[in-house]
Amino acid sequence: MKFEYITPLIVFFFVYLLQITIVPLIRLAGIIPDLILIILVYYSISRGQLYGTVLGAVYGLLIDLISGNLLGLSMLSKTIAGFTAGYFTGETKKIVNVTTYNFSLIVLLCSIVDTIIFSFFSTFDLQTNIFSILFEQALLPSLYTAVVSILFLFYPLRRRKF
Amino acid sequence: MFRLFSKVWANFKEYIVLVITVLLSLIILSQNQNPKVQKVKAIAFGSFASITSIISDIFSTSDLKRENRELRETNAKLMLHLSKLREFGIKNDELRDLVHFKDTTSFPLIPASIISKSLSFTQNSITLNAGKKDSVLPGMPVINDEGLIGIIQSTSEDYSIAKTLHNVDLKLTVMDERSRINGILKWTGEELIMQNIPSTYDVEVGDRIITSDVSSIIPVPVPVGVVEEFKPSGLGMFSYIKVKPFVNLTNIDNLFILAVVKSKQVKDLELNFYRHQ
Repeated sequence: MKFEYITPLIVFFFVYLLQITIVPLIRLAGIIPDLILIILVYYSISRGQLYGTVLGAVYGLLIDLISGNLLGLSMLSKTIAGFTAGYFTGETKKIVNVTTYNFSLIVLLCSIVDTIIFSFFSTFDLQTNIFSILFEQALLPSLYTAVVSILFLFYPLRRRKF
Repeated sequence: MFRLFSKVWANFKEYIVLVITVLLSLIILSQNQNPKVQKVKAIAFGSFASITSIISDIFSTSDLKRENRELRETNAKLMLHLSKLREFGIKNDELRDLVHFKDTTSFPLIPASIISKSLSFTQNSITLNAGKKDSVLPGMPVINDEGLIGIIQSTSEDYSIAKTLHNVDLKLTVMDERSRINGILKWTGEELIMQNIPSTYDVEVGDRIITSDVSSIIPVPVPVGVVEEFKPSGLGMFSYIKVKPFVNLTNIDNLFILAVVKSKQVKDLELNFYRHQ
């Protein structure tokens, strides 16, 4: 029971270390995949919407604290992304959604939600071209994150806990 | 009452938790300037940065050879600049002597390395391995041999976080080096633009942009970039000026923190002024 809450935090610190040290080495035109979002989507589908929402808030708050971003910004975007991913949970659906290419599509959707909210709150300005921001800051990074999430499907099924 | 609450909770708990966490996020967002919140952030990133620095050290050693070659090349270029500047310096000293003006200002540089980068489109920031112990203070400019990188945002004992030019929260007073026109430099999330320049003002593509001497953040002229695109506005009063920064923010590893903050600089200049009264 305790591990249910501690494991995602341990995983977070490990994955966040990768995110800020190794992942920048695979950037494409300044775009990097969001590994934290991939694990958030995984936990949200496998453990439910409520769990995903709270975990999104915790992950977002930790990212804001560690990265020096505006405090509360990632918390808001990751909370809603975790909540969105929670719609794809369910006793029968969750195994299908975590073990097939559906997973990447869900990651794509949640990543778009996450990046749109993040970009909107951080660059809100009447002069800014919203469509350009949606394309460059939301769609492209989301696509990259979704592509990287395919690698997650190769992680052995028996090691995953649902 | 309790049964009603239990029923509502059972049916809508996901939505209730969502509303609570979203509200909590918005409350925290509004408290960003609170000194206590800043202190908590400094402790949090300082603790995590010590772990990150170990990993970043491992990766940075593999780049040493390439970096060494680039540094030798920069060194040669700087040597040529230096000999030119020496000539100007001699002339400058002669002119200063003529007007009995003594320069008391100096700009110590604090060397630092980047231990992590947040490659966000809007909130780009870098974590540096120099902090309060090295006399780094919030507001100090971060530079390298090419130009301005950003401004120190917050510091812990051993580490600091700097907002780069690609951060929407960083707005700087800059000027056109040729025409001495001042404007506000701002990152929109996709490009670096210079704001508040009337359409009739003299700005040309290729003009060098430096930090302004009226800047409240950076007290010395530091190169920032070059005007890449200039469009006089058709209907509005202000023109559109796109600036290409000198520094490629994705490839920087080592940099310097200019150990001055504006207040000290103003104080020094005022003292200098009164000395000659």
